[in-house]
Amino acid sequence: MDALKILGVAAKASAEEIRAAYLLKVREHPPEQSPEEFERIRDAYETLRDPRRRAREMFLAADPSEPLVSLIAGERAPRRFVGPHPWMEVLKGK
Amino acid sequence: MTPKPQRSGPILDAPASATETSIRQLIANGKSKAALDSAKDHHKAEKTGASETLLVEAYAARIRSLLDQNLVVEAKSLLDLVGERFPSAKGRLEELRLLSAARGGSVEELLRPLLDPGLSADQRAAIEAAVQNQVHDLAALAACAALPAEHSLRRAAAALQTALIAVTSGPVAEAALSLPEVSHRSPLAPWKLLVRAIACYYRGEDDACREYLNAIQPDAAAARLIPAMQAMSGIKTHGPLTPAARLLAGQTAGNLAALRSALDRLDRTFDGDKPGAILAAVQVSVKECREIFPAKIDRLKQLVSVRCALIGLDRERVSKALGGPAKRDAAFLRLYARGMEQSDDPEELAVACGAWDEFRQFAVKEGWFKANGSEAAELYLHMARVLQKIPGNFLPQIRNSILSRMRGASREDFYFLFPEKLYERACAIDPHFEAFSQWLAWAKQGNGAERVAEAWHRIRPMDLEPVLFLMEQTAQRQAFQTALQYLDKAERIDGLHPSVRQARLRLLTGNVLKHLQQKKPHLAAQRLEEIQALPQSQQGDRPAMLAALRWLICAGQNDQPGITAAAAETELLLQSRVAAELLVYGAAVVSKRNTAMLLRSSSAISPPERTQIPAALARVVALVRDMQGMNLNLPLAYLDEAAGQIPRNSALDTAQLQILGEAGVCAGHGELAYAASTAGLQQGSLTEPSFLLLRAQALPSWLGERRAVCAAAAVELARKQQDQHVLEKAVQILHNFAPGGLSLNPGHVDEVVRKEKETSAFPTQRDSGPDYSGLIERCDCPACRRKRGQAVEPWEEEDEELDDIEMDQILDELELPPDMPPEVAAALLLEAAKAVESGETLDDLFERISGKRRKKGRRR
Repeated sequence: MDALKILGVAAKASAEEIRAAYLLKVREHPPEQSPEEFERIRDAYETLRDPRRRAREMFLAADPSEPLVSLIAGERAPRRFVGPHPWMEVLKGK
Repeated sequence: MTPKPQRSGPILDAPASATETSIRQLIANGKSKAALDSAKDHHKAEKTGASETLLVEAYAARIRSLLDQNLVVEAKSLLDLVGERFPSAKGRLEELRLLSAARGGSVEELLRPLLDPGLSADQRAAIEAAVQNQVHDLAALAACAALPAEHSLRRAAAALQTALIAVTSGPVAEAALSLPEVSHRSPLAPWKLLVRAIACYYRGEDDACREYLNAIQPDAAAARLIPAMQAMSGIKTHGPLTPAARLLAGQTAGNLAALRSALDRLDRTFDGDKPGAILAAVQVSVKECREIFPAKIDRLKQLVSVRCALIGLDRERVSKALGGPAKRDAAFLRLYARGMEQSDDPEELAVACGAWDEFRQFAVKEGWFKANGSEAAELYLHMARVLQKIPGNFLPQIRNSILSRMRGASREDFYFLFPEKLYERACAIDPHFEAFSQWLAWAKQGNGAERVAEAWHRIRPMDLEPVLFLMEQTAQRQAFQTALQYLDKAERIDGLHPSVRQARLRLLTGNVLKHLQQKKPHLAAQRLEEIQALPQSQQGDRPAMLAALRWLICAGQNDQPGITAAAAETELLLQSRVAAELLVYGAAVVSKRNTAMLLRSSSAISPPERTQIPAALARVVALVRDMQGMNLNLPLAYLDEAAGQIPRNSALDTAQLQILGEAGVCAGHGELAYAASTAGLQQGSLTEPSFLLLRAQALPSWLGERRAVCAAAAVELARKQQDQHVLEKAVQILHNFAPGGLSLNPGHVDEVVRKEKETSAFPTQRDSGPDYSGLIERCDCPACRRKRGQAVEPWEEEDEELDDIEMDQILDELELPPDMPPEVAAALLLEAAKAVESGETLDDLFERISGKRRKKGRRR
């Protein structure tokens, strides 16, 4: 279980950030609607709220043998700033 | 969007002719060119006021159509032409003039009337509608010379223009989007919504973006961006996008497909073994990442850098392919350390610990955790666990090698290569149970475990484990006084703990035996009184043990009546003379008072008494184990007798057989253990795992294959019955006799059980028992095949030959005769190695090398 990934927090997240992320995830996956997901979220939170277990998670979170594609897994392509010109061209109705 | 031409009301009083109706129908259908041509013909023929009005209507429809097609110049020329030809229609064409001015960017012309004090409300509304729906050039509006600089429209347009440039050029703060210059009633209000929608789009807040877009009036000029932005946010649009909208969508919305494909390819090249291909794929991936996802470039470089380091690629070449070295920060070092610690190479494991130490320093600097926080302590423990993966003799070598290379470096500089230093640091920062437990477990493998337990007990006095450990250690040294002091502490911590409850009886018994050993029967007697006062000493067979001790004390005091009384009491309690004698004999041996009790020889025992030997032996062994926690030294003749009696004695239960078997294993008496296992295997399937394990333990070591098969069968059965105790012991035997592992299917397990049950005789060289060669997968290496007498081809030998480096190492260590050239020594060594491999005798080797027969009697 990668608790950091499940809660979507960085390895060096503070206790407050972890709690905030947990509450947000519970709102997204309430136990009555998705009990299994809630269980995972709860387990991840239990791991991260214990400083020692959190530390262990932190050390083990890095995996150099993970496929490189996982670097962008679940990521949305970043939106590029292209300046006003292409936008204005659309406004001109061309 | 320009509204479709509305059908005009009746122009003539007379009913409309069919031609007029047709022309109006064409206008209504949007066919303005055909309508205009027909209207021209109709007016040429009629030349009436009505036909002129209809012609002007057709012109107006045509001008609108041209404006809709963005043909502003053509529309304006036609408008001017109609104005000149039909001056009376000028008022009716005013709206089209505003529309044309707005579309053509002639904002001065459009806005000038706003300064006219006589401008009607309708005219103002028309101008504002044109500004809202037609003007797309905010810069022109902001710079409109027809209005004063402080005019609200100019100020709003300027603010919007600045905001539009900002949101399309980079991230903006929320304050930049408040735009107080643009009121919600302004004709430019839709632009404010558009600017906010664009800001939300770049922030990835798609829901908010959609809400802003939905709030824009569909006719507004700003609404022209809605289809493009919907497409960019992944929403399906109605109808095709304009070329400009497609271009915008392509430029702003990134596509990860190319990057994903490059990373996939790089992963695949890592699986291969071609550095050139890897570095080429690295270059492509870095380029794609830099273009498509620049925020990930540092992480990618770190990942690639570590992966390349793990496969030993040249650092300079990798750095060049990456376009510069990867950023060295805590994240990088953690990745590197994780990679290194997964290796089996002792040196790489040591490097991993060095990397973890560097990670710790960076992580503290970067604010991941505090230098003395529990995370740091956990990291020290993790590093210690990594060091434990290094085989014992390698770690000192690595440390010495590093310290000799790094002149001036101290042990403290390389603390991360010393498990004890890591544990010390961890426990100093965060002295918790698991940390000390881990430290003690490590220390038990070498020296210093007591020191660790003492440190643990000092810092956490209420933890039971160090106290129990110290108690056991001191008891083993026969320092019973100290052991009893630790027991007092343990009883205060957790008096109900099973180990604590059993300990007092055991320690006191041990103390009695020690006093007897030291020839201090009076002290032994005192301790015995203490034992007798314990309620648990009166349970089961324990009173018999007390009587036996009393027997020995009396013997030490030369108290003959006491001896007689104690002997009678022991025999009475055990209801067996043989058992009583064995018990006293065992206790006498433990207390090194062997002369106190001389056992009868087995031949002096009557046949009926002999049948009692196995049961007596089992009972005494169990009792001594219970009270003293140690194994009994038993006379060989009695063990032989027990081994012979077991097959004839069906009254023994599984517990007795188990005890007898274990006693046989401890005493190295395979026949007894074997006989117990044979009888045990007949007792039913529930006890099969433990008696198969006993069979594996009982077999002589030269029957390694049979031992391994019995242990493997015990493993399978124990797993099925969830018998952890048997499982662990059987796995250990399996590991010793079949390091490569051996697993049996259920059919094979049944076969093993059946054959072992049938083989009741202890194996001899002549009859070694069942043959399990069919169940064992044999090693196919040349050496093993040769041992089995199978053919080995010459080319298969290559890998086994000593390489130059190994040869040099061996020659360095050998003391060669002073006149022997190293080349000759190397050749001789090689030949000797071949001789060992092939099983060649020394004489044959001598003859092969020298060409002479070796003289007899000179062999050493």
